[in-house]
Amino acid sequence: MVRKISSLGLSLQFLACLAALVLASIFVRNEYALRLLVISLYFGCQAMTFDFTGGYINAVNFGFAAFAGLGAYAAALVAIHTGLGAWAGLLVGALVTGFVGFFTGILTLPLRGIYVSLMSWFVGMTLMALATAMEAVTRGARGLIVPPIFKDATTTAYLYILISMFLVVYIILNLIIRSPIGLAFRAIGQNYDTAQASGVNPTRYKLLNFTISSACAGLFGGFYAHYVGIVTPVVMNMGYTLEIMALSFIGGSGSLVGGVFAAFLLIPMFDSLKSLMEYRLILYGMLLILVMIFYPAGLAGLYQKVSRKIFPKKGKS
Amino acid sequence: MDPETAANLLLTGMLRGGLYVLMAVGLALVFGVMNICHFAHGEYYVLGAYAAYFAFVTYSLNPIVSIIVAALFSFMAGVLTDKLLFYPLRKRSKGDWIINAFLLTAGLSVVLQNVFRLAFGMRYRGITAYWDAAIKILGITVSADRVIAFFIALLAIAAMWIFLQKTNTGRAIRGVSQDEQGALLVGINLDSIHTLTFALGSMLAGLGGASLLSLSPAYPFGGNKPLIASWFVVTIAGLGNVQGAIIGGFIVGLFESFSYYFLGQGWQEVASLSLLILLLLFKPTGLFGTQIKSVWER
Amino acid sequence: MPLRKAGEGRADVFRRLVLLSVTNLQAGYGQLQVLWDVSLNVDQGEFVALIGSNGAGKTTTLRTIAGLIRCLDGQVTFLDQNITGKPPHLISRAGLVFITEELNLFEAMTVRDNLLLGAYSSTDRKKVRINLEQVFDLFPILKDRQKQLSGTLSGGERRMLAIGRGMMAEPRLLMVDEPSLGLAPIVVVDVFNALKSLHQLGMTLLLVEQNVNHTLQITDKAYVMEHGRIVLHGSSAELLNNEYLSETYLGRR
Repeated sequence: MVRKISSLGLSLQFLACLAALVLASIFVRNEYALRLLVISLYFGCQAMTFDFTGGYINAVNFGFAAFAGLGAYAAALVAIHTGLGAWAGLLVGALVTGFVGFFTGILTLPLRGIYVSLMSWFVGMTLMALATAMEAVTRGARGLIVPPIFKDATTTAYLYILISMFLVVYIILNLIIRSPIGLAFRAIGQNYDTAQASGVNPTRYKLLNFTISSACAGLFGGFYAHYVGIVTPVVMNMGYTLEIMALSFIGGSGSLVGGVFAAFLLIPMFDSLKSLMEYRLILYGMLLILVMIFYPAGLAGLYQKVSRKIFPKKGKS
Repeated sequence: MDPETAANLLLTGMLRGGLYVLMAVGLALVFGVMNICHFAHGEYYVLGAYAAYFAFVTYSLNPIVSIIVAALFSFMAGVLTDKLLFYPLRKRSKGDWIINAFLLTAGLSVVLQNVFRLAFGMRYRGITAYWDAAIKILGITVSADRVIAFFIALLAIAAMWIFLQKTNTGRAIRGVSQDEQGALLVGINLDSIHTLTFALGSMLAGLGGASLLSLSPAYPFGGNKPLIASWFVVTIAGLGNVQGAIIGGFIVGLFESFSYYFLGQGWQEVASLSLLILLLLFKPTGLFGTQIKSVWER
Repeated sequence: MPLRKAGEGRADVFRRLVLLSVTNLQAGYGQLQVLWDVSLNVDQGEFVALIGSNGAGKTTTLRTIAGLIRCLDGQVTFLDQNITGKPPHLISRAGLVFITEELNLFEAMTVRDNLLLGAYSSTDRKKVRINLEQVFDLFPILKDRQKQLSGTLSGGERRMLAIGRGMMAEPRLLMVDEPSLGLAPIVVVDVFNALKSLHQLGMTLLLVEQNVNHTLQITDKAYVMEHGRIVLHGSSAELLNNEYLSETYLGRR
């Protein structure tokens, strides 16, 4: 049983942290604290999704916020115009964004390196421009009002829902990463063109990766729409991409959950130290800069280093 | 379309183009010489705008002097940025340079924008005009500010061109962009050239922001549009290609002018972006080609 | 350019100056050590060769001397100055000019611009012009093609341009890495003749080559490298008759 659980990628440490989170959601009554937990987890989920692409096939999706925003809009529209429940909306959001991600992946097939980031940036900007221009559907800058995920949903309810979503997505992503598919991702990330020599079809895996990560971004984006209650083109703003990207890199590129820890570390810190709120984005930026220069391995790298000192592996000196 | 509207659009396009060229050349230099996909370029435009604003409004300096002060100020900011940020990154980051530098400038962009916000608030710092006059060109009335800004841009670009082609240092900059090891072997100090290049790029951006103060006021997030515009031009022209950036700037200026007329604000953006995406698909190295081979790898 | 006028004799024994002194050099790439205890000397006016087969470490030696590779141990002295670990551009400015095998030309620049950049560290514009004319005298083909982009030149012409660019820096010592590589035999003759002329005009040269026979015939002394070590050295005349060398590199029995 233990082996089965760990094969899902759920290490003891991870389960402990998860348990702490669940306990917190059961016992914490303070509305403000609960909101903080939801937002931290949300950004952590998006950072994890971002890392699935950035940390593995080495493609920095610079239009990420727009993909999340697309999921938000899709879920919002489904919730507003159809009688189907919120889950249908989230599913539609994931599918639509996954499809756009697939399409973006195709657009980036002939490109390499920075050009991939540029293309995804431009696609993201196009989405944002479309959201503003297609007034009839999106109400442009005024935005859409989104009903709650279910009637009278409390913040605690949202937190439970997000935790479950996080767990499911994490397990799925982790399984993929640990499978031969994950190896293929890493091969492409190292060198797209020579990956073929290892027997990997780079096209297939690149598209797979883009589609999955976009779908997840859209899924969480849909959650965000219900949670916040309003969707405007601003959700697709570059700033959010930067924040998510910063969390992902500070957490450690390739670690998947590193970004979640970074989010829980930084977001409450910035929020609670009110005076720091103004400086929040500056500090994000500076942290990203410092991590890039001095410690590209991020929090995950730090964790590895520390845990090796505390728990030296048997057989290693 | 009647000839007068066409002339008007042409003129607007060219005037816009001039400023785009200014921004794009700065970006192309930074990319070509330092291999940095500069994401904070717009913030130096804003810096120049703020500097010019305070020089002109607070210290009541002459418009030309204000603009020159702003340009020098942006130059110094560029020097500082390279020495404090890119120099340490160069020393430490060998493999993933392009992505790391890119991300660093993204972080820098966020930092600068919020520093502006904290220092100057969200107020728009603008002026009605440097020169309270209007000029008639081909029967169309244009504000003097706009025309003079255009000529400043042309002058700056011409000066930059001569600098790069005829002077020893300019040649060195070109050399570094073509073969770093070769540059080392002829005795060129790479760090100095990098600092100078970044400072020049920042100066050009600041010059743009300063000369267009009456048309685009200084405010913390004012760098986004110039950033996107200069990236447009550079992507269309070919990353790192300075000559291409000059022609590309005018092309983009004209394209935007005409598409704005036909499609209106919202859809014009979509049109530009679609064009950009198509171009990236079919000719990623840009219309005029990029000399940079390493940009193809990570 | 320290070119002596015709009629002036070579530096005699009493004035012999050691320009370059490499002592116990250990160097490599990352974890891989390539050079083991390499020592060599180049005196003023000498034409020294560093020979050996592919992968022997000859290029690595030059690159380490030029500062492109950081050495792990050992010392490099040039003109009585310790240049070990100094940055490459300062070594170049000190007068130790390295012409790589890949040439590192500025491909998108004209021949003329390449040459002018060779004189980058020179402040005397008139001297630069004079030096440029001297290079054109030595390599007339470069003068014909001066407005052409260097990327469009033929292999031999590029080699000449690289050497010419090196000379524009007024070097005290010129290091050349495998100038004959990839060139047609007739062009190789031209290149070697150019190097010979340079030497006759007083230039001190350190040449790395695989073409052992030809090299030994035009140089004063040579060092033989194998597996990252100097295994043999002496005057070129002696080495031409050396048994081991003859068998291994010249295919004689």
